[in-house]
Amino acid sequence: MLNLASTQRHDGTTTVQREPGMSTNDENAPEIRTGQWEDALSFVAVHQDKAAYSELFSYFAPRLKAFGMKMFGNEQQALEMVQDTMLNVWRKARLFDPSRGCASTWIFTIARNVRFDMLRKKQSRKDDISADDLWYDGNYPEQEDSGSHQWDTVLMTEKLAPHFDRLPEAQRLVMVKVYLEEKSHQEVSDELAIPLGTVKSRIRLALDRLREALDDTRS
Amino acid sequence: MTHAVKYHPGIPLLEQYVEGTLEADVALAVSAHIDLCPHCQQLCLDLSAEQGLMLEKSAPAAELNVSDMDEMLAEILAHTQLDTGQVSSQPEGPVQVHLKGKTFTVPRALARLVEQQTKWTQLGSIANAKLPAGDKRHVSLLYIDKDTAIPQHTHKGLEITLVLSGRIVDEQGSYGVGDILINTPDDTHTPRTLPDEDCLCLSVLSAPLQFNKGITRLLNPLQHLFY
Repeated sequence: MLNLASTQRHDGTTTVQREPGMSTNDENAPEIRTGQWEDALSFVAVHQDKAAYSELFSYFAPRLKAFGMKMFGNEQQALEMVQDTMLNVWRKARLFDPSRGCASTWIFTIARNVRFDMLRKKQSRKDDISADDLWYDGNYPEQEDSGSHQWDTVLMTEKLAPHFDRLPEAQRLVMVKVYLEEKSHQEVSDELAIPLGTVKSRIRLALDRLREALDDTRS
Repeated sequence: MTHAVKYHPGIPLLEQYVEGTLEADVALAVSAHIDLCPHCQQLCLDLSAEQGLMLEKSAPAAELNVSDMDEMLAEILAHTQLDTGQVSSQPEGPVQVHLKGKTFTVPRALARLVEQQTKWTQLGSIANAKLPAGDKRHVSLLYIDKDTAIPQHTHKGLEITLVLSGRIVDEQGSYGVGDILINTPDDTHTPRTLPDEDCLCLSVLSAPLQFNKGITRLLNPLQHLFY
């Protein structure tokens, strides 16, 4: 585990940088290497590697606790959520599929589901909506990445400008680089030190927001 | 199929759904829509990734008892029985409902609830089956036979209708499978089916107070960029 981590840490381009608009805490934001948590999870999955799991735990548990405090406003419940979530991370590591997304996404969805079911259980109803009903834990059929090219000309129009400025900062930054500076997705990924998938997903989200701002077919 | 669905929940609703802060019965309708809508499936994956990044980049809890955390870690690592397969309370395979000699397959999100209970109450050419969703709201399957107009009804809250089969039309438009309609108390509409096509929907009815809460939610910092 340590070996793997240190060899990849030499590669300066994969260091994740802080992005504007994200809440960060300078003293408490250790350097995260791209792929670090995905690697750790796969070590847990394959070798039940306790050192790799401890690394994940010491990074995510305190952050999950902050998340839990915000959601429950109660330390005991926040800690219960952290424990259930991190136990699931340990026990279900084999079910993590890196092709479907980042480790942080997977951990977030586990925490969300644990929290949801905790709240429902408190209301003590038997036949009830559960996290399993609401969030599909599987693959929907693959979608082709479509529809962005038809926006190239529309994006330049005056009409869109005010909406463009109101995009979330992280999305706007990616859009400026791709559409105004005409950089490739890969170039933007390198420049901002964010995964290629994040570049693509931010473009999709931004395009959908703009689409929504322009036409009103959404309820 | 990709662009067959025309009426989607807005991004603010999808965001709350992904965060898990949307009320459960509204989230159920959104979830069933997503099962039917590849476009929103992709958006939800993207929104989940953003939430994951936010968690990763967030600040750790200010007050942390180190020995508590060490204890928790030790307790977790003591579990040696690890999961190898997917455990889910979801039924295997598609779940169907039968009505008037017809068979309808329900979306995955509704499968477990529908399997638990579907008792139809029939009123003329309209049938209703309440789902055991466990909330204050009325969550039901609504069947409307062809060539039928919904009698004028008043409800004081939010009305969500998701088309599961067939088509329904009103003054504003025509809604097919996967389309979601969200009507507030201010909206008046007279939905009806076409002369040759019946319709099965999911219907969620709420009280105004909860809806106001939903609207207020739009003003929170996560969505302030939106308006």
